[in-house]
Amino acid sequence: MDFTRSLTTRIVLNAMVLICVAVLAFPLVWIVMMALKQQSDVMAWPPSFVFTPTMDNFRVLFDAAQAGATSYGTIKVDFLKPVINSVVIALGAVVVSLIAGVPAGYVLARRDIPYKEDIAFFILGFRFAPVLLVVIPLFSLFQSLGLYDTYIGMIWVYQVVTLPMIVWLTRSYVEDIPKDIEEAAAIDGAKPFRVVLHIVLPLLKPGLIGASLLVFLLAWHNFALGLMLSSTKAPVTVALLKLLNPGIQFYPVMAAGLVVTMIVPVILIVIGQRHLERGLTFGAVK
Amino acid sequence: MAEVRLEGIRKAYGNLEILRDIDLDIRHGEFVVFVGPSGSGKSTLLRMIGGLEKITGGTLRIDDKVVNKIDAADRNLGMVFQSYALYPHLSVRNNLAFPLKMAKMKKDEIADRVQAAAALLQIEHLLDRKPRQLSGGQRQRVAIGRAIVREPKVFLFDEPLSNLDTELRVQMRVQIAKLHKQLGNTMIYVTHDQVEAMTMADKIVILKDGRIEQVGSPHDLYHRPASKFVAGFIGSPRMNFLPCKEKGSDQARTEITLSDKMSRWLPIQTTSSKGGRALTLGIRPDDFVAPTGMPGELVIEIDVDFVEHLGSATYLYGTALGDHVVARSPNHHFPAGNAGRVSLAVSAADCHLFDPEGKALTRLEAPGSWN
Repeated sequence: MDFTRSLTTRIVLNAMVLICVAVLAFPLVWIVMMALKQQSDVMAWPPSFVFTPTMDNFRVLFDAAQAGATSYGTIKVDFLKPVINSVVIALGAVVVSLIAGVPAGYVLARRDIPYKEDIAFFILGFRFAPVLLVVIPLFSLFQSLGLYDTYIGMIWVYQVVTLPMIVWLTRSYVEDIPKDIEEAAAIDGAKPFRVVLHIVLPLLKPGLIGASLLVFLLAWHNFALGLMLSSTKAPVTVALLKLLNPGIQFYPVMAAGLVVTMIVPVILIVIGQRHLERGLTFGAVK
Repeated sequence: MAEVRLEGIRKAYGNLEILRDIDLDIRHGEFVVFVGPSGSGKSTLLRMIGGLEKITGGTLRIDDKVVNKIDAADRNLGMVFQSYALYPHLSVRNNLAFPLKMAKMKKDEIADRVQAAAALLQIEHLLDRKPRQLSGGQRQRVAIGRAIVREPKVFLFDEPLSNLDTELRVQMRVQIAKLHKQLGNTMIYVTHDQVEAMTMADKIVILKDGRIEQVGSPHDLYHRPASKFVAGFIGSPRMNFLPCKEKGSDQARTEITLSDKMSRWLPIQTTSSKGGRALTLGIRPDDFVAPTGMPGELVIEIDVDFVEHLGSATYLYGTALGDHVVARSPNHHFPAGNAGRVSLAVSAADCHLFDPEGKALTRLEAPGSWN
């Protein structure tokens, strides 16, 4: 590290960081502030930065009993349902991806199978394709199969988002484990399945925690799949859209919904930061 | 009892042949070293015995049982890898216990055996550490411990010392040799270091280009190399090779001329009666002595251009008869850095001769075999 930077350089560098922070944080701060304001404060011009915060918007969001009555009108929302939907779908998608993707990633890393690279690239290809590509044909398919607006159907279709990432990340983590270690386990009397169970999986654990967090966030943020293939089982991202009301615009309630939607990823990122970084940079096991 | 028998073992990746015609008998309790330059197939051969590489052709038997198709896990072997290959997520104790757990052994027996192995290798104080908290030498010990704890039939070592520094390498070399004496198991050891091979082996197998070049005791390989390749590979510094011509022969001797046109008789049996062939004369640097004027010695003039003092020995680098030569000086106090011409002698009995194909001609006065 360079400790001999001049004072001016340091000031300029810090100023640049501050600018970055301001640009990135501004919308977030704005939304959080908006969520804590009354409708009248939101509409005030110039915008007020000093106001009496209220939790009323959050009450409206989750208060199905009073039918979302506000001081300036009634909005019918039940935001708890979509939050639960999102948790179920995103969590389910990650679990299914781990069950299916980790073995696939392992095989792609370690075994000689025909057309290995083509298979791997095909799986990755789903990450390049726009989600709408699969959504439109799936819409009619899901309706005739009875999968439309079901958790199973949603978790299944979310594999488009989560599975390729899990397969590819697992593959690269496995490639980072020295092959010697697996061979040593084989010589020590472990059959292939036990080698994976006792040696490979424990070594993959930190990487997989990071990868799971990462794909959970991807699943959480997905919008198009839920919009087209669900209604009562719609995730938060879709529910947010439904807050757009043709009549009065309940801006502070929408902002509160956004805050709720953001809070889950933020908590996960804060708790799992160490693992998330590991998941992205997981390397030398040695 | 653990005998390993290789019959016509072959290994190929597609059309690329790595090993062919490998026939080898390893007796119970033998310490066998596979040695050869890189790419000779020695590691591949070891890995085939271990079950880590498929056998393309031939038969591999361990204790008279054909194991070609048997999983590595079921061959009951122990192996030490060059990289140690310790399980990074397990403590030393659990690393040692792993083979026993796989064998579904009882808990208290596992504990006893781990303790015994740790005591044998003096790593008891390290049992609760993780591999990353150990030094290279300690990791090496743990790797050996993990291999011996199950008391396998055969131990395989794949260049286990090449990641250690010189001093530690010598220590571990001695320790592995001692361990072999203590346990009495069959051990197969791969190295590219001929000193390791010479010091540890009961039997050395020299591999070259995927074929066995020669099998024998270290003593035999040193004194009766089968080929120019073996002669050059075993022994340090390397044997000197000088071109010469076959002039004549009788029953027990061959007459050669070097480029100085002087003819000399060597106690070596030739394979041709015609004479006139271009041969190669081989002289080990350590076989040079001060000339005594006695018959039966070859006097060679060396133009020395560099002198290397090792303390215990002094080596002279120079040219003789138009070729590069290395010779151990019979005189320890050879003046350092002094270039000049010296006359050194070699007993005719110490000379080696190789035919144009590189095969050795039989030395009749070579030191007898020990075994």
